[in-house]
Amino acid sequence: MDINVQFKKGALELCILVLIHERDRYGYELAQSVSEYIEVAEGALYPLLRRLVNEGHCTTYLQESTEGPPRKYYQLTSEGESHMKKLIMEWKHFVKNVSALIEKGSQS
Amino acid sequence: MNKNEFLSTLSANLSILPPEERDELMNDYETHFAFGLQNGKTETEIVQELGDPQELAREAIGERRFPQGPVYWFASNPNQEQPQQPAPAVPAASPRSIFATVMVCIGLFFVDIVAISFLATLCCFGLSFILVAASGILSPVLVLLDYMMHGAFFPAKGFASIAFLGVGILFAMLSSYVIKGLLVISRKFFDWNMSAIKGGNTK
Repeated sequence: MDINVQFKKGALELCILVLIHERDRYGYELAQSVSEYIEVAEGALYPLLRRLVNEGHCTTYLQESTEGPPRKYYQLTSEGESHMKKLIMEWKHFVKNVSALIEKGSQS
Repeated sequence: MNKNEFLSTLSANLSILPPEERDELMNDYETHFAFGLQNGKTETEIVQELGDPQELAREAIGERRFPQGPVYWFASNPNQEQPQQPAPAVPAASPRSIFATVMVCIGLFFVDIVAISFLATLCCFGLSFILVAASGILSPVLVLLDYMMHGAFFPAKGFASIAFLGVGILFAMLSSYVIKGLLVISRKFFDWNMSAIKGGNTK
């Protein structure tokens, strides 16, 4: 279970970047969207988002909504987009290699 | 756990962050609760989805300390430069230079001039307890000697010696505590000296 948590943490950043790239989203919405695919402690999102903002991968803006509190939207910067692309490449490469390894290992 | 418990645990565990940063994070979580409640979830459900506040706080602090660099196994492409970051500098107990050790010894010498004389005073105090105890307990014997030498027995002396015997026994009991205490103090003082010379951690 523990190792699984580590996997998810590693993947979370990538998932968030892709989701924000798709369109600007606010924190709660991100939590919901991620949870649709992977089961993750939603609270881990906010520290991660803060880091993405600090590193210049995202910017935020507030938007009032008719219902509920104002929403803090996250928007991907161009730097964030290239970071995302790099991560996606690395991810695919990594998954491919690990799958190949598993394949080879389970055949013999 | 309900919302307030979650938030207060989180806030307490985030106390080492700068206040504005902590407030911002806390605000994020409070907003999360607001949205969740609005979507018809209960506080307990939201808390469950969010995860363990202590763990989250640890993560938040960790994210902040080592800002750049994705998780290690992302950088799997050997052609690419590994975004390696140096391991967090753990303040290791590095061995001190000889010069520093000598200086510490000199400093300790002056501290000890005062401290040892103080300890010696305490030891004399302890010794006086023992002497009082011994002389008190021996007082009936002394009265006996007095009688044998002078051939005259004064009842007052006899009663006084009994009283002194009691005082002596009392002091004998007290002095055992005093000696134990003194031993503990001396041992601690000695240990402190040794750790100061070796450059042990000061907590």
